[in-house]
Amino acid sequence: MFKKILIANRGEIAVRILRACRELGIQTVSVYSEVDRTSLHVRLADEAYPIGPAASRESYLRIDKLMDVAKKSGCDALHPGYGFLAENAALPRACADAGITFIGPSAEAMEAMGSKTAGKQLARRAEVPTVPGTSDPIENPDEAQSLAQAMGYPVLLKAIAGGGGKGMRVVPNDAAFASAWRDAASEALNAFGDQRVFLEKYLVGPRHIEIQILADAHGRCVSLGERECSVQRRHQKVVEEAPSPVVTPELRRKMGDAAVRLGRAGGYVNAGTVEFLVDADLNYYFLEVNTRLQVEHPVTEQVTGLDLVKLQIAIAADHRLPFAWETITPRGHAMEVRLYAEDPDNNFFPSPGKIISRHAPSGPGIRLDEGVYEGWTVPMDYDPLLSKLIAWGNSREETIARLRRALDEYTITGIRTNVSLFRRILAEPEFLRGEIHTKWLDEMLARPHPPAAPPRPGTEEAALIAAALWHSGQSNAASSGSSESQTTPSRWKMEGRRQQMDHMP
Amino acid sequence: MKFEIQLTGAGGKRKHVVDLERKGEVSTVSLDGQAVEADAVQIAPNAISVMLGGQSFEIHVSRSVDGSVKLQCGPHEFSADIIDPRGWRGRKHGAVEVEGRQEILAPMPGKVVRVLAAVGDAVEAGQGLLVVEAMKMQNEIRSPKSGKVERLLVKEGQSVIAGQALCVVS
Repeated sequence: MFKKILIANRGEIAVRILRACRELGIQTVSVYSEVDRTSLHVRLADEAYPIGPAASRESYLRIDKLMDVAKKSGCDALHPGYGFLAENAALPRACADAGITFIGPSAEAMEAMGSKTAGKQLARRAEVPTVPGTSDPIENPDEAQSLAQAMGYPVLLKAIAGGGGKGMRVVPNDAAFASAWRDAASEALNAFGDQRVFLEKYLVGPRHIEIQILADAHGRCVSLGERECSVQRRHQKVVEEAPSPVVTPELRRKMGDAAVRLGRAGGYVNAGTVEFLVDADLNYYFLEVNTRLQVEHPVTEQVTGLDLVKLQIAIAADHRLPFAWETITPRGHAMEVRLYAEDPDNNFFPSPGKIISRHAPSGPGIRLDEGVYEGWTVPMDYDPLLSKLIAWGNSREETIARLRRALDEYTITGIRTNVSLFRRILAEPEFLRGEIHTKWLDEMLARPHPPAAPPRPGTEEAALIAAALWHSGQSNAASSGSSESQTTPSRWKMEGRRQQMDHMP
Repeated sequence: MKFEIQLTGAGGKRKHVVDLERKGEVSTVSLDGQAVEADAVQIAPNAISVMLGGQSFEIHVSRSVDGSVKLQCGPHEFSADIIDPRGWRGRKHGAVEVEGRQEILAPMPGKVVRVLAAVGDAVEAGQGLLVVEAMKMQNEIRSPKSGKVERLLVKEGQSVIAGQALCVVS
């Protein structure tokens, strides 16, 4: 096993990895930029070294500086976390050159599976279903139309040179095909100077469901089941849960087998996630592979009882996966919400600043993975993820009730957070029925806000009394605080003097 | 002690008079002239537990960057402007001029584009101290009181985060 691990990250994930290392008796080394000197991942580490200014490209993205710290501090392994360099094949290569074990897949597996196009080619070879369509342009409109008929409507026309929705058309039926083709081609020509178009099956209201896989270096590759991550805001996951409300044991086995086939085909080792889109008829289509630990890994941990970070470390240390859990079944239900320092009333604008006070939820079925503390200033330079609040219970209903209860207990003052967004989501009838898809949250947010439940009688009066009491305490402290300490000696001091007197002969 | 408090919540904006009287450990409270059965205890620097006729409330209090007091009670939020009787004599044009040493905080993240006062300058209440640019808008940060610029904590061109101290007027 490793002696000392460099954690090439910051925030809650660095803290998460630190905790796993500490439980395993492994020494930890953190790195920090100028604005992260007082961050939790620095406070908790055995050793910590500065790696430059706030801007990530001059600190957390500098492979040379990371290697320098790893060598000087005598690390024998490096964990990249997620984000930053976690999916950059140059990092495992640099680690190999420096004789340091990278806790993650090989550079080759990262490249073979990480990019969207390479991943799709690999999926086809491994007979994992991909969204039907052509990846090459089609010159002849008639040929395209017969392909669309074979595929079944609706279909999506996309410009080869596309981006930003330009040259993109949803074709609902055969009658609309010819005109949609003309529009897409001319729009593509105007926008990109290239009128070539290809087509893909259009999935209506797809779900985002992903499979967690683990593979050791001795040929064993297993699935840990799915996570449902359909609640997204502008393609960013907001709520994740396991198991999915729609996945049956049979579908879980089929998707798990597909993900494992893909992992084997890519020579994958360590933890990875295979993402799928799932349509209303529960057909699943490969989307992409994340060749790293996911933000939402705790929901899988809660329903499987496994510690994914410790398993990642064990796999990197060349251990065999100690189980035959190809047949693993989730127990109970887990759900995670991502608390961000952002203002939901102001278009989710980031709200960095100082955390004046913070009360963390606890109690049965609650887990809080975070990198913040009272008195800490959330820097404006990075992703404003504060905490991941995870609840689990025997059923989805109990889990949601616990999450709601924990959100009511969670108080942060000084900065704005998106807590109110989760209160809204967790009260939506569609969400409670599990009727969600990748556009669901954007649609929900576009609807007018339902009026919030009025506070219970007495709340306003209580707030007034609290304001008055707090204000009188503030002004007393300001006007008389210093003089008081001079006139009345502190009890600590008096006790100290009394003890000294007692010891006098 | 009597406080005039303007409370703003989802239900609108209203002015109230809160009278807190402390007699040893026991305090009596009256709201808008009506005596209420209440017990309020500060349980943490920024948290107050209020019992109102047996109903339990926990209020988290923080100072907003605009100088008002933010009150959070579970999912409900209020903002309060408090007029302290001890500060009444400084009142001008209906607004309250604060007293004592004032730390001026950045109301939003941004960049200091101009510093308009120097250490030692005498300033009037409402006089511009510096200009912070945020989201391509320039915002003049004004002095909340008449006094002297005691310290300047930022330089032109410096980035600041919301709530960061910019200067001190005493």
